Amino acid sequence: MATETSASTEAPAASGGLPQFDFQWWPGQIAWVLVIFVVLLAFMRLFAVPKLGGTIAAREAKISGDVAQARALKEEADAQAEAAAAERAQARAAAQKLAGDARKAARAGIDQALAVEEARLAEAAATADATINAARDRAMANVAGIARDTASAIVAKLTGKAASAAELAQAKG
Amino acid sequence: MAQQPAIDPMHQFLIHKIVEIPPVNLGGFMLDLSITNSILTLIIGAGVVMAFLALTARGQIVPNRAQAAAEALYGIIDTTLVTPIIGPGGRPYIPFIFTLFMLILTLNLMSVVLALGNIGGLEWTFTVTAQLAVTATLAVITFFSVFILGFIKHGPKFLGIFWVPGMGVIGGILMVFIEMISYFVRPVTLAMRLFGNMLGGHVVMSLFGSFVVGLGIFALSGGLATLGWLGSGLSLTMIVALTGLELVVAILQAFVFAALTTVYLNEVVNFGHGH
Repeated sequence: MATETSASTEAPAASGGLPQFDFQWWPGQIAWVLVIFVVLLAFMRLFAVPKLGGTIAAREAKISGDVAQARALKEEADAQAEAAAAERAQARAAAQKLAGDARKAARAGIDQALAVEEARLAEAAATADATINAARDRAMANVAGIARDTASAIVAKLTGKAASAAELAQAKG
Repeated sequence: MAQQPAIDPMHQFLIHKIVEIPPVNLGGFMLDLSITNSILTLIIGAGVVMAFLALTARGQIVPNRAQAAAEALYGIIDTTLVTPIIGPGGRPYIPFIFTLFMLILTLNLMSVVLALGNIGGLEWTFTVTAQLAVTATLAVITFFSVFILGFIKHGPKFLGIFWVPGMGVIGGILMVFIEMISYFVRPVTLAMRLFGNMLGGHVVMSLFGSFVVGLGIFALSGGLATLGWLGSGLSLTMIVALTGLELVVAILQAFVFAALTTVYLNEVVNFGHGH
């Protein structure tokens, strides 16, 4: 280590201090930095920045444009789906109405036929009742005569003498 | 004991001429525009920047890796610095900030990445950003561009940046001096920060580099000196770690320079709004 430190003390003695403060090199470096900076600035302003910034801006515009287009298409599809759904609902309502009308018409026909038939049946029943009543009345009238004859016959058989018509009528009650 | 190489960490900053160009006479002042190692590296750095951007900025909507890299670098200036700090009014100054950023970044990275080639008289690279003349020129360009832009945009009213409202007349006048000092010290800090960071890192790396070789040769003498291998190995480890650190410093200092330029420009562009 000792030799190294001694070596380090003798070497920089030639320049003395920082080489950066050797001012003979300053004017040349300053001039070249100015020239190079101007050249590079022109390159950036005329080519690099418009190209890079333009590309990034174009990409963002493209992406947002594509997204907007996709959104518009989606909205259009949604609207179409909505229209189709509305159409379907309308068709269903129309069909239901048609079916309802048909059912109602059929029921009306059936009701009418039923009413006609019932009326006819009722009339037939009334006619039949009247016939039956008449027949019964007739039969009942015959029954009184038969009873009187039978009673007269029974009385005559039992008493040996015929009962008068008045007595028979009284007995019948 | 074998011959020791001199430990001179400053040797790497020495300038020497490579191509001699006859001096230009500027009204009695002889301007020597000869190409030195510093200027050659500067030109190569600028060339690398232009070649990189010319080859990668292809303008495709779907970028390849190289184009994405160029756009990411541009995004650091546009999306990270100018748009959040200045706003849409900062758009015209992006080329200026991008130029500073790319030039400093490239020169810094070249000085770290290619430093491995600077062995035994070879000189692959030169730390241009450790030359105070260079950083001071960049700082002065930045400072005066901003300062002059302020007067172009706002006229004499721009002097209002030195006036602190709400201090009264006497307090205000006192503050003007403090504000002026803090304002005009900006180019100095801008130049010294970059210069100091690059200088310091490279000096330390160079020192550890000499330890690797010096202690290794010392260890060859045998006996107790064999322990020198330990020091040599440790120094080598340190160089590896320092190279990583210096890469961070190289990128960070370029970003800091660009960020401060953006902040200074913001005072001009948005002068009067919330100042």
